[in-house]
Amino acid sequence: MSLLRLSQVSLQYGPAEGRDVPPVLQGINLDIRRGDFISVIGRSGSGKTSLLNLAAGFLSPNLGRIEIDGRPVTGPGAERAVVFQDDALFPWRRVEDNVALALKLAGVPREDRLVRAHRWLADVGLDGQGAKQVWELSGGQRQRVGIARALAAEPEFLLMDEPLGALDAMTRDQMHELLLRLWRQSHAGALLITHSVEEALFLSTAVVVLAPDPGRIVLHEEFGYGRRFLDGEDPRALKSEPGFIAARERLLSAIYQEEHA
Amino acid sequence: MTDQTLQIPPAAPRRQMPWTSLLGVATILGVVALWSLAAGLGWASPVFLPAPGRVWAALMRAATDGYANATLLQHVGASLWRVMAALGCTMALGVPIGLLIATSRVGRGILDPLIEFIRPLPPLAYLPLIIIWCGIGEPSKILVIGLAMLAPIVISTVSGVRAASESQIRAARAFGATRGQLVREVMLPAALPSIFTGMRIALGAGWTTLVAAELVAATRGLGYMIQSAAQFLVTDMVIAGILVISALATVSEFALRAIERRYLPWIGRA
Ligand SMILES: Nc1ncnc2c1ncn2[C@@H]1O[C@H](COP(=O)(O)OP(=O)(O)O)[C@@H](O)[C@H]1O
Ligand SMILES: [Mg+2]
Repeated sequence: MSLLRLSQVSLQYGPAEGRDVPPVLQGINLDIRRGDFISVIGRSGSGKTSLLNLAAGFLSPNLGRIEIDGRPVTGPGAERAVVFQDDALFPWRRVEDNVALALKLAGVPREDRLVRAHRWLADVGLDGQGAKQVWELSGGQRQRVGIARALAAEPEFLLMDEPLGALDAMTRDQMHELLLRLWRQSHAGALLITHSVEEALFLSTAVVVLAPDPGRIVLHEEFGYGRRFLDGEDPRALKSEPGFIAARERLLSAIYQEEHA
Repeated sequence: MTDQTLQIPPAAPRRQMPWTSLLGVATILGVVALWSLAAGLGWASPVFLPAPGRVWAALMRAATDGYANATLLQHVGASLWRVMAALGCTMALGVPIGLLIATSRVGRGILDPLIEFIRPLPPLAYLPLIIIWCGIGEPSKILVIGLAMLAPIVISTVSGVRAASESQIRAARAFGATRGQLVREVMLPAALPSIFTGMRIALGAGWTTLVAAELVAATRGLGYMIQSAAQFLVTDMVIAGILVISALATVSEFALRAIERRYLPWIGRA
């Protein structure tokens, strides 16, 4: 069972000697196992993206350790794939070639990688769209391409920074179902950054609330709504359960506690 | 699960508005009319300003009988070859230089001052030096034209690389790109639109430099044809040569635009 572990992680932007720059993240402890679906919520500026960039290996912590199965993380790696908020697709490549990016970089021959890319496109509901250009797709479709690109790398961990942030509510609901299905099918450990409390609660096996200045974890709670949805329960019924509503209020007040204190 | 929401319609093809084109055509016709009038009324002697008809006749004469040792087609061929050879060499050199400046501190440290040194120099200033170094053959001519093209290509490549977004670069890194793959897969494609703009500026600089390059011991070429005509005050032939250069520059500009539309269709819609 793979484990992505952040222990006592602190991060500070800017020069280390600049004492007056406050840390963006401080004393973060977080474990992500395969099969986990962990969502991180928090106000804008609380350090969510920074946390994901640390886990992805784009940034190194000033203090603390980031490890995968005990090995220190020193940069991006094949066992972690990232879905970006702005989709970060390459408009100079067709949809199928975007999905096949990781395979191309790994030297898989074009025929093989396109076959695999088409399978992933079918999995995200974009069957037969591989030859299209990126700009011919809607926002929701582009994000699916980004997710297919990440999954095509067959990662152990799927790191997603507000992938649904720019989508309308109906498209988001469709994407929730898709994400849960793909998560179960891939057995990956998922880390989802979101600013939607309901999304976090509905999808995740655990929700982490970050509070800003400095970014730290103020609440870490486990849930099971996503699994229940996958087992066939009705999403609207789940979301109107008293337990769901109470949990949403708890998370909201954790997010806003310091504003009201 | 197909969603038709947020379907982005493809942008309208970038085309000049009709009335702008009309205005352009009208302007050219107006200038020609004014020119005919001036020549017809004898405002200036034909040596200074031959009538459009005489320029046309000179053009036909050059095309059929030839002028200054060669037919018009041969002059055009020689000039076109020099400009295109210079463009090819400069692209082969300038794009890698731009990528090095944009992606490596050492590269920037070494190459940036050199480019900044060449950039403001007028080609006529270094032409004599190039002749001393490389002689008066074809290579010198191509070198002068190429040098005039180098800075626009390099600078447009450098600024083009910045068009790659941080998340695109991170995506490539996250999916295992090496440094070389990062440049090939992200930075170079992202820079292409800017490089094309640079090519257009470079071609402009190339046509500008052509006549100067052909000042020296050329036996073919539009610049040579113009200078030969100028020595004998054959003004109609001088103007004919100028018009041919202008036409070639326009055609190459449109060709580049067509290539851009064909091969870089994502420009402006990423
Ligand atoms: N590259 C950076 N350099 C300096 N400060 C940054 C950088 N990125 C983020 N920050 C700062 O770190 C804090 C957390 O940012 P971020 O991780 O993007 O938060 P979130 O994703 O929760 O909105 C913010 O105050 C932001 O201004
Ligand atoms: Mg963010």
